[in-house]
Amino acid sequence: MKMRKLMSLALAGVMVLSLAACGGGGSNAPASSDSGDAAASTEASAGGSLQVNIWDNNQLAGLQEIADEWSATSGVTAKINVVDWDNYWTLLEAGASGGQMPDVFWMHSNTAQMYMENDLLLNLDDYIAADDAIDLNNYYEGIVSLYNSNGHQYALPKDHDTIALLYNQAIFDKYGVETPTDDWTWEDVYNAAAAISEAGAADGVYGYAINTSNNQDGWYNLVYDYGAQVITDDHKGTTIGSDAGKAGMEMMRKILTVAAPQATVAETGTDSLFQSNLVAMITQGSWMINSFYKAESHADYKWAMMPYADVNGNGACDKGERWSAYNGLGWAISASCANPDAAYSLISYFCNEAGQKKQAELGVTMAGYKGVSEEFANAFEGMDVSPFVRIEEEGDLYFRPYTRNTTVWEDALQQQGAFLDAWQNPEDPAVMATACDNAQAIIEEAIANE
Amino acid sequence: MGKKKGMTAAEKREAIWGWAFILPTMIGLIVLNFYPAIQTVYQSFCKTGDFGKGNIFIGLGNYTKIMADGELWQSLWNTVKYAIIEVPFSVVIALLLAVLLNRKMKGVSFYRTVFFLPMVCAPAAVAMVWKWLYNQQFGLLNNIFHTKTAWISDPKIAWISVAVIGVWSILGYNMVLFISGLQEIPHDYYEAADIDGASEVRQFFNITVPLLSPTTFFIVQTRIIGALTVFDLMFMVMDKTNVALSKVQSVVYLFYQYSFTNGNKGMGSTIVMILVVFIMILTFILQQAEKKLVYHA
Repeated sequence: MKMRKLMSLALAGVMVLSLAACGGGGSNAPASSDSGDAAASTEASAGGSLQVNIWDNNQLAGLQEIADEWSATSGVTAKINVVDWDNYWTLLEAGASGGQMPDVFWMHSNTAQMYMENDLLLNLDDYIAADDAIDLNNYYEGIVSLYNSNGHQYALPKDHDTIALLYNQAIFDKYGVETPTDDWTWEDVYNAAAAISEAGAADGVYGYAINTSNNQDGWYNLVYDYGAQVITDDHKGTTIGSDAGKAGMEMMRKILTVAAPQATVAETGTDSLFQSNLVAMITQGSWMINSFYKAESHADYKWAMMPYADVNGNGACDKGERWSAYNGLGWAISASCANPDAAYSLISYFCNEAGQKKQAELGVTMAGYKGVSEEFANAFEGMDVSPFVRIEEEGDLYFRPYTRNTTVWEDALQQQGAFLDAWQNPEDPAVMATACDNAQAIIEEAIANE
Repeated sequence: MGKKKGMTAAEKREAIWGWAFILPTMIGLIVLNFYPAIQTVYQSFCKTGDFGKGNIFIGLGNYTKIMADGELWQSLWNTVKYAIIEVPFSVVIALLLAVLLNRKMKGVSFYRTVFFLPMVCAPAAVAMVWKWLYNQQFGLLNNIFHTKTAWISDPKIAWISVAVIGVWSILGYNMVLFISGLQEIPHDYYEAADIDGASEVRQFFNITVPLLSPTTFFIVQTRIIGALTVFDLMFMVMDKTNVALSKVQSVVYLFYQYSFTNGNKGMGSTIVMILVVFIMILTFILQQAEKKLVYHA
């Protein structure tokens, strides 16, 4: 009898543990931040602690180092929690509706407008005016204005990012294909990808890989290279269904015919395929450098500037033919933060010149502060990441397309009824043209409903 | 039948204490279940604003819109297909396992534990492991059988692949329920059958199956409801850009997509309401069937 009782107790224990593990693993955010919030609200009144939420694990170590430096001077501890991208927004929205937001957190162009308009973020105007260390003119304009609503500033620019072409030197060498240079057009990418995919077929190696979800770091850029816009400058429309937009996506389609099949890309992921040395080229954003820098075969991984589209056919890259998306996160403070002074002091520390330099030096991300790109380029010993910086001079930047509720159309574009159809059928140009028309309609409908 | 008049002081005290004891559960239910349920009904008639503010009442607008959209019906059909695989297989296999493990043999508790283990694992972790087993290029399944099957990307078979995970995960739980049901069957019947010379197979179909039918019915009913509300398997196993997703995604997945990814709580509530009505109708039919199918000794 005793034995049975013990067994049932043990079983119950295991089940409770697995529940906890589910909370911790599946949606790791809620469990950790609930306890964290409780701790923060009790300690904050004593001036003790701030709850900070971010979504990128690659940046945790560097940011925590800067935050600890700040803690040493301010006496307030800052605990940074990482919540993965999808759950981050679910959690933040639930927190915003229920009045339980973290004190300090990242804002993103996808949702910034919604949060600002609903007064969920602390208005920083007075703080910035009183702060000698922050002058908004020193930051990338697009990022400053992104976090500005009705003339009020709701977040400080944390960083900015650009896109570059990543290639695996070893694969190019193995199949005797010339490696990408800054003078490459998308046509060159196609030729190289075709050569590698053909030669590497027996080894399961592909020349190129891109999924419909690689938008900002992928096909968006082709749309701009050929002269169209995913979202127009006024954030009220799109020209993706125009002839120029279709020309860009037609180039994409051509590359897809020699790239890894969509099913493979969806099941395994382009980054995993690349890091398994099964794909020769992908495009990626500067926020991902760390992940490739620390990868097993990082010595083979090289970056090149984004290819351009020789639209006018003069054999050179002219203005408006080479584009990279850029985006910037913002450090925001919850409007209901119990200790706004300490929270502002922290984000000011992250965003002033010294903090931004340090963030670049540590290789966390490129700065939101202008003029510290050198520090970032030097942060990765043995890996040349200058293509991310050079495109700012030698190409054009467009801000990551966003509207008031970006996710609605952004997700729809990646799925059936839009570009997934074309990714499935790369051989047929008509499917891609229809997908562009569908995309145009999807975006217009989404904006109309906002 | 005097109501309050007839109550003695002792009865009154008892009644008060009775209420006091169920109060914590009542409050929990009201705050965590009833209130959200009523809110869901209300929001399904609204064009909801951001962060739960500024809801505009639009009557049946959400219903007419979602019902005209093929996505809902496709998802409902996907869910039903999932249930058609999950429920019968998990019940039949669990019953066989339960009969085999309800005997005196060496290591019975070891086997029972092994079959119950998937139930103890976090569903998200289970789904992750299966996702990599199924992987077309690097998965264990294709490597063992030297095939190139797109287990979770081929719309024709992906729904079966996902349902298999469902069967595997729930098997142990159903088995435990069946074992407890089996132990309630008096042994006399089997002894009598032995004397009469009935074979084991005959005993199984003529004694075990009918006497177990209340348990079977309970499991079938709870499993149908469970299968119709499936979400985590699809969510964890299928990437957003998986071409088979639209042929596999469940109604609850669609609800998640609308409510949390797109931030459209009103439409999400509408989808859930339709699912609730569907389950209610099904449960009613099952309850009617119980009278005919279940053998009460």
